[in-house]
Parts: sequence; C-alpha cells; structure tokens
Amino acid sequence: MAESTRTSTFRGRTVSNSESGCSMTHVKSANNREQNINSQPTISHSRYSRVCRYFLRGSCTRVECQFSHELPVTTTIRHSPIRNSNGRRITKNYNNGHNMPSTSSQSTSNEALISSNCEASVSLNSNSENNTINNSRCEETDINPEAASPILESDWVNAPEFVPSQPKQKSYAQAVNPLDSADYIQYSEQRLCPYVTKDGCCRYPPGECSNLHGELCDMCGKAVMHPFNEELRKKHNQECIKQHEKDMELSFALARSKEKSCGVCFEVIMEKAIGEQRFGILPNCNHCFCLTCIRKWRQARQFENKIIRACPECRITSDFVCPSMYWVDTKEDKDKLIDDYKKALSKKDCKYFKKGSGKCPFGNKCFYLHAFPNGRVCDVGPPPRQRRRRNFDHADFEVLQHVILWDFLDDRAQPWQSLADDLEDLVSFFSDSDDSDWSEYDLFYD
Amino acid sequence: MANIAAQRIKREFKEVIKSEEVAKCAIRVELLNDCYTELRGEIAGPPDTPYEGGTFVLDIKVPETYPFNPPKVKFLTKIWHPNISSVTGAICLDILKDQWAAAMTLRTVLLSLQALLSAAEPDDPQDAVVAKQYKENNEMFQITARHWTNVYAGGPNVNKDCDDKIKTLADMGVEEHQARVALSSYDWELQRATEQLFS
Repeated sequence: MAESTRTSTFRGRTVSNSESGCSMTHVKSANNREQNINSQPTISHSRYSRVCRYFLRGSCTRVECQFSHELPVTTTIRHSPIRNSNGRRITKNYNNGHNMPSTSSQSTSNEALISSNCEASVSLNSNSENNTINNSRCEETDINPEAASPILESDWVNAPEFVPSQPKQKSYAQAVNPLDSADYIQYSEQRLCPYVTKDGCCRYPPGECSNLHGELCDMCGKAVMHPFNEELRKKHNQECIKQHEKDMELSFALARSKEKSCGVCFEVIMEKAIGEQRFGILPNCNHCFCLTCIRKWRQARQFENKIIRACPECRITSDFVCPSMYWVDTKEDKDKLIDDYKKALSKKDCKYFKKGSGKCPFGNKCFYLHAFPNGRVCDVGPPPRQRRRRNFDHADFEVLQHVILWDFLDDRAQPWQSLADDLEDLVSFFSDSDDSDWSEYDLFYD
Repeated sequence: MANIAAQRIKREFKEVIKSEEVAKCAIRVELLNDCYTELRGEIAGPPDTPYEGGTFVLDIKVPETYPFNPPKVKFLTKIWHPNISSVTGAICLDILKDQWAAAMTLRTVLLSLQALLSAAEPDDPQDAVVAKQYKENNEMFQITARHWTNVYAGGPNVNKDCDDKIKTLADMGVEEHQARVALSSYDWELQRATEQLFS
C-alpha cells in the first residue's frame, strides 16, 4: 500500500526501485512502452475522464482515486502511473536486471496481476541475489502492482523528457508582473547602462546596449530607476527624497541668510568675499555677525573682557562663537549647530595637551580632544586655578607663543566650519566662569 | 583695515541720512574729507533742557580701527555741561571710551550725546566746576547752560542779566568768552569773577 502510494509520484523516465536493492540499470524498452500506451488509454479514458488534480501536482495520496491519473494530452513518450481495470494504480517497477517486460500492465484482473507478478518476480529473481527480499515484499504488500517498462540501455537518448503538464500555479504577484519570476530575478540583477545613468543617453544604437536602461526618476530626472529591481528603485527613491530634503533645508538656510548683514561691518554676509561669508553665531543672543568681525571684536584687548565677550549689539555675554555657513533662526537649529560644532572640536587634538606631552590650561573644560597617542582619552580634571599675576613670567610667555603660533598655523581654509582658531573663544569661555582668575589669564593674549 | 572703517562709515552715512532723527533735524552728519576719517556732526539740544533750541557741532574723527574702536568725538560748540569740558569740548561718555561696542554707529553715538545733554552724570564729571555747580546750585547751572546755549549754540533764550555782567567785564578789558567763563564759574557773582580775573 505504502509502496504504491509512493511510487505513484515517480513520473520520470526511469524509475528505479531503490528499495528493492537492485543495483542494475533499468532501461525502458521501446516495445514495452508501446504496450503500455496501447493498453492504457482505453481504460482510463473510458471511465475517468477528469484528471486528478493531485496527480497533476505530482502526488495523489488516494489509492482509490476516482479521477484519471492519465495526463490529458498523451504523449507517446510519457510514462505515467497507470490504472488497471480495478482502478488500482499500477506503477512501473523495474525491479530486476533482466529487462523482462512485466505483464502487469496487460493483466485485467487484480488476482492475475498479483499472481503473475509474483510468479514473475519469483521466476525472474530466481537468479538474483536479493530474490528473497523481493519475494517477501511481493507477498507482504497484498497489492503491489509493479509494472516494469524496461528501456534499452542504448536507447537512453530517446528517453522522454520530463515536461510539466501544466504551468505551475501563479502567485498574484506573478500574475501582475508579466515576466516570469525567474526572468524577473535574472533581469533585476542586471546592471543599468552607465551611460544612460550618467548622461541620459546611451552610446550604443537603440537595442544594442547589453545593459538595462533605467526609467526616469520623477525627482532627480535621471534615468536611474531600475525597471525590474523594486528594491533598487525604492533605495533610489529614498536617496532622492533625502537629497531633496537636504536641498530644501539648504535653500531655506540660504533664504534666511541671504539678507543678513553683519552688525559690525554692516556688510551683507553672503555678499562678502569668498571665505568671509561665514556667520559667527553667539550662543546667548540672536544678533548676527560675520565670523571675522565678531572674532576680531572678541580679540579687541583694549577693552575689558566683559565688554568684548558681550554681544556688540545687546551686551549679552556669550562664551564662544560658533562658526556657521548659514544663519540659524530657531533654537533647535542653533542648538544643533552648536552641538555639531562642539562635537567636531572634540575630535581635534588639543594643541596644549599635545597628546599627553603638554598641559592644557583649560583642563576638562577644553572643547578639544585630550587623548594619548594610542587613542586613550584622558580626563585631565578641572582647569587649575590661575594665580593672579601682573607680570608675564616665563611660563606665560611660553603659552603665549603657542597661542600665537597656533593662530597662524591653523588651517582656516575649511569651508564649513573652521575647527581651529577658536582660541579666543576658549579663553573667553573660561574667563566667564565665576572665578575671575580666568579673566586675568585672558590678558596674556594681547 | 582702514577699508573696513571707510566702508562702514559710508554705510552709516546712508543710515544717518535716512534716519528719523535727521527728518526731525535732531542729528546730522557731514563729511569733511574724502577718506571718511573726519566728520562733522550736529545735534539739537534736547527739549526741556537748558540746551533746547541750540545746535551743537561736534568734531568726529574715525580711527583706522573703527568700528573696533570708538570714534573720537568732541564738542566744537562751547557748552556748559558737567560731562563736557567747557574749555576743550572733550566728552566724558563711557561708550566713547571703555564701553564702546562694535555695533555702535555714528547715529547711536550722536543720539547718546543728545541723551547725555538731557541726563548729565555729575558724579563722573569731565568739567569739575560745572559738575560742582550742577550739584550745589542747580538753578544757577540751568541759567548758565541756557545762556551758553543762547550765545554759542543759537538758543533762543536771552538772559539780560548775564549779558549785562559780561558787558561790564568786557568794558574792563576782559575778553568776552573769558568773562563768561569766569562769571559762570562763580555763579554769576560779578565781584568774585572780577577778583579771579584780575588776581
């Protein structure tokens, strides 16, 4: 029973009964095939006109299936499980190496089938090593229709191809998509033509390019949308949206910066010379200055610290100046800008600390990075309290020299944020702290 | 550097000319040379002060480091004010010294001076004699300031008494301004002024 069920799934051209233990090659014989064909249709077509669905899918678990297990279009080369007159399935079982045609398919009665089959088995396997096994199996399974359709070894070339009887059931996605999923996958991995992607036109004449030509993206207008790869399309779309958002932000920033003029030089900052079109943002008030002017003002040592560290317009003290390419209106924008600025500074080595070989007077309040050459970050503790001194002693001069050198060595060419030459900011930052010692320190930078 | 200063003065000039205060004839600025370093300013005496009706001329010198340093301003018109030297016209005003801010302009300076005229700071005097009078004999200060405004700044209030006393001293051969300073310093007491002049 189990055997027959299982073997019914074999629709290949050669079905080997591996469990029989036969090691010989089973080849169908041409004339046996003829026999099969001649004998079967009359039975199956007359009684079971409808084809079993399960059978078509490859497996019918019902032994007593009332539907035809015959393919609707019979090709002469197809070997399908067949039925005998009792509706029992008969499968070809090439269980021996003697290429003897089995008579099972021809028999009309079950009893005859069994007896003949068993007889055949016995007789045929009499010489074979495993005849007992085969025999016992034959007896155990009350119905074990074994149809052998041996094929000649030399005829393997003409052996039937396995052709699916019906196209596989399609998913909705496949139905929507005209291309076969296999093709789809294949196409989706194909590259886009770089010429079209880059310039919008292919250097090959139409139809001769071996790559795919992308579809136009609605947002960027470039032919970069992969026609088949949904993932790539989505990815590009997201990139485009991101870029668009960036562009929008930039244009807003430009719009709000365009008219802004510096409160010190009175020039429109965006109309200043290249390299001077930078804003110096004060954290504690909303007055607008160009970076050059506000820095210069904060270095005007002829005035008291309180004066120069205050906004020239409103006199609100700010600890430092944050450079920016654009004007910031809202608090969120400003906070983000300042945060980014501090983050950027914290990645730059402090030139006082000198990777551990120097000493930073600003201690752990320094905006710059205090790390050793191996990258280990060091907490140098709070800034030491500066002694009040009226005269510059040697140490002060040393610091002063560094400061001046630093100012000149710093790369000011960075377009977005000058991460350097914020010395005065740092100095002033600390001179703001409650102990006025720092303002003394400030004086050394004249 | 000088370029920044000149550029800024140019811009400020436009600002002052367009400003409301000019429309009300309260302040005025004019150029004295082409390089924007020397200017002449004018402020009107604020109402309800002894300086009302007068026009005070100022000498403005713009340093090369402007606007990071304040302009040098002094009164050309003689004025009786605790914070302005009656001799030199020098002004004692914090914003023109240590309280300067780079965002300040000629306009704000002139307006500050105008404000100074209406609100003197006798505790931070430029002219000690005037400041003393301001504090000890404010009535006399008002008279003197008004008289000076009338004589030097074109103010409308003629003080016959003051004029007479000055004339008396002038008849004695004292130069008119010198006589006025002496009389103003001694609360218009002719005798003490004469003593001071001839001692």
